[in-house]
Amino acid sequence: MDARLVRNRATIGRPGGAHAAMSLVIDHITKRFGDVVALDDASFTVEPGRIFGLLGANGAGKTTSMRIVLDILRPDSGTVTWQGAANTELPRRTWGYLPEERGLYARMKVGEQLRFFSALYGVPDADARAVIDEWLERFRIPDYLDRKVEELSKGNQQKIQFMAAILHDPEVLIMDEPFTGLDPVNVRLLKEAFLQMRDRGKTLIFSTHQMEQVEELCEAIAIVDRGKVIVSGAVRDVKRAMGRQVVRLATDGDGRGVEWLSNLPGVTFTAQRADYVELQVPAGQDPASILSAALERGERVTRFEIADPSLEEIFVEHVGRRAVSEEEEHLAATAHEEPPA
Amino acid sequence: MSNVFPNALHVARREYLFRVRGRTFVISTALLAIAVAAVTMVPTILGAVGVGDPPEVAVHVAADDLATDPIVAIQAVLIAGGGPEGEEPAPDGESEERARVTRADDPEAAADAVRAEELDGLLTITRGASGDLAFEYLSGSGPTDQTRVLITQAANAMTIADRLERAGISAGESAELFAPPDFTAVAADPDDARGDEDFGGSIILTYVVVILTFMAILTYGNWVAMSVAEEKSGRVMELLITAATPRQLLTGKVLGTSAAGLTQYVVMILAVVIGFVANGPLSAALGVEGQLPFTLPDLEISWLLAFTVFFLLGFILYATLYAAAGSMVSRIEDVQQAVGPLIYLAMAGYLSSFVAMNIPDEPWVKIASLVPFFSPYLMPARMLLSTVALWEVLLAVLLLAVTVVGAIWVASRIYSAGVLLYGQRVGIRSVLRATRVAR
Repeated sequence: MDARLVRNRATIGRPGGAHAAMSLVIDHITKRFGDVVALDDASFTVEPGRIFGLLGANGAGKTTSMRIVLDILRPDSGTVTWQGAANTELPRRTWGYLPEERGLYARMKVGEQLRFFSALYGVPDADARAVIDEWLERFRIPDYLDRKVEELSKGNQQKIQFMAAILHDPEVLIMDEPFTGLDPVNVRLLKEAFLQMRDRGKTLIFSTHQMEQVEELCEAIAIVDRGKVIVSGAVRDVKRAMGRQVVRLATDGDGRGVEWLSNLPGVTFTAQRADYVELQVPAGQDPASILSAALERGERVTRFEIADPSLEEIFVEHVGRRAVSEEEEHLAATAHEEPPA
Repeated sequence: MSNVFPNALHVARREYLFRVRGRTFVISTALLAIAVAAVTMVPTILGAVGVGDPPEVAVHVAADDLATDPIVAIQAVLIAGGGPEGEEPAPDGESEERARVTRADDPEAAADAVRAEELDGLLTITRGASGDLAFEYLSGSGPTDQTRVLITQAANAMTIADRLERAGISAGESAELFAPPDFTAVAADPDDARGDEDFGGSIILTYVVVILTFMAILTYGNWVAMSVAEEKSGRVMELLITAATPRQLLTGKVLGTSAAGLTQYVVMILAVVIGFVANGPLSAALGVEGQLPFTLPDLEISWLLAFTVFFLLGFILYATLYAAAGSMVSRIEDVQQAVGPLIYLAMAGYLSSFVAMNIPDEPWVKIASLVPFFSPYLMPARMLLSTVALWEVLLAVLLLAVTVVGAIWVASRIYSAGVLLYGQRVGIRSVLRATRVAR
């Protein structure tokens, strides 16, 4: 399926207009570093008060788009607006940022360091102290206030870094791979913090490779590949736009042949698991037809499930297919070339 | 672009506190203060050490027809040579403590005393066959020993006096022969305030101003560059650059480091003052005259103010560029390479000021003393060693100030582009390309 078509469909499915003025709008951004095109006419919209996932392979352009939104990097062309105002005009405290490369002043005490960053964002010192205590408590590290950062474990350093990003109560929180390096307990703590911030009306954007986090948290996503936004929009719309549904079927006739399933019109047999089979049904065909076909054959159905394709499938399909086709193009192109002398 | 303050002050405060609380800072400041205070006391202490062991010389006079008493002559030379140059011999009462010259009636016993190291030397004076005096000095000392050098001088003087005496010239007449000439230097420019007396002090003060400026640029400039590179390699930079603008960060970094550097300088200057003040009681306790071998020129407050302005602006100019240089490297090891051109620039001004000290009125010195990167060295030097019109000083300050503002602008752009560029070697070209779209 054509990527452009998918994007258009996802875009059409999104409620636009009234919301767009309040949203974070990344509009036709292009950014080159020398000969490398980091972002190529990238556009997507993040609605306020939502958790938004930015997906892409390594080097796809996620970090560059975040830096451009934060206005620490300027694009070659295109604009970023938040609630109608250009990001270059917005005060720094609008944003909170957790960079992918973690870094704090190693030899500075936790409390001092967090108060320093709060001061840069214009938070009065007394307020900063109160908020720092509150968050240290929530992250179960209250006695780290006077410890030097270099004495902390990586995971705890990361929690401090997250605090540095949010102590000034930003409207938009942008995080590059926030979950990497955290144990399950801390992942849970961080997710709770995300949801709580979302409930307070904050907008959260994060990038990750871990699709389960996206499935669990994100209401909308954008998939970026080689500087291009392949698809963006509400997760539901993105899944629908794939144009197919997944059916998982199990019958108690174990070991009996399932060949009859592939004879059903339009149905693609995708996987046989230990206790069920997985099928794909194209859009426009009612998945229930499989169930009725099974019942007609006299099968005893123990499981019948209609699901959207997982984000992982969607991601692999978009990014993987593109990568493969470009590889082929590249091979085809170089086959005719003589190696340079 | 938002205001530079108050964020620059937050950055400066963090930088300053982090710096001055560091163990390296405390130790290096303490060592510098002790070293500087010690240097101011060295002349006194050396004088005291010399006094602690006054030379003791015996003289055996075999020639009985001398016009002057050799004991008195040698003693006068030893005492005059031991004190500061050109100083009158101390009154008799005190001279006893400085050098002792005795008449040796029994040369054999005196020679034994020298060999037993009870005496520093035995001088035997005889009348040689040619009619001239002949001297024989028995001692354990080498040719550079001060007492031996002085005794050689005394022998020269006695020989000449003896020859003049024998030629029929009286002692009074020979004293006239050796009287110093009447020499007066007249300044062509009537405003020329340089006096012969305070000129040595002016040169020393010029050295002090030039060296302090150079040291500050090299040492504290390096602090700025290292600190920026550390923030970049430690990846705290991305947090900083999100929270504050490059100009705020750069200004704060330079201000904070300057304040820490100035703290170190103030401690050192206090140590010098303490050293000088302590010199009086110290020399009294050690029984020497604690006088400096020069007098400092009388400086007006406006001059000190001008020196301070040149020092601060000059330092800030270099420190700002050091920050930009620090932002261009990814690893701390590469800092020295990046600041290389700045070191050469600072060194050019430093070395040229030593050349200029001897020729402060040459046209190129006058021009260079207005050029921003050199004026912090050359203008104070010219002010001390020559006469400078007020407009020249004001023009130099103005040019320097304008350059500082320009440097902050350029450096912030390099900085905002440089801090996000990572790689083995970030070249000037990629930084310049990035600055075109920097905020």
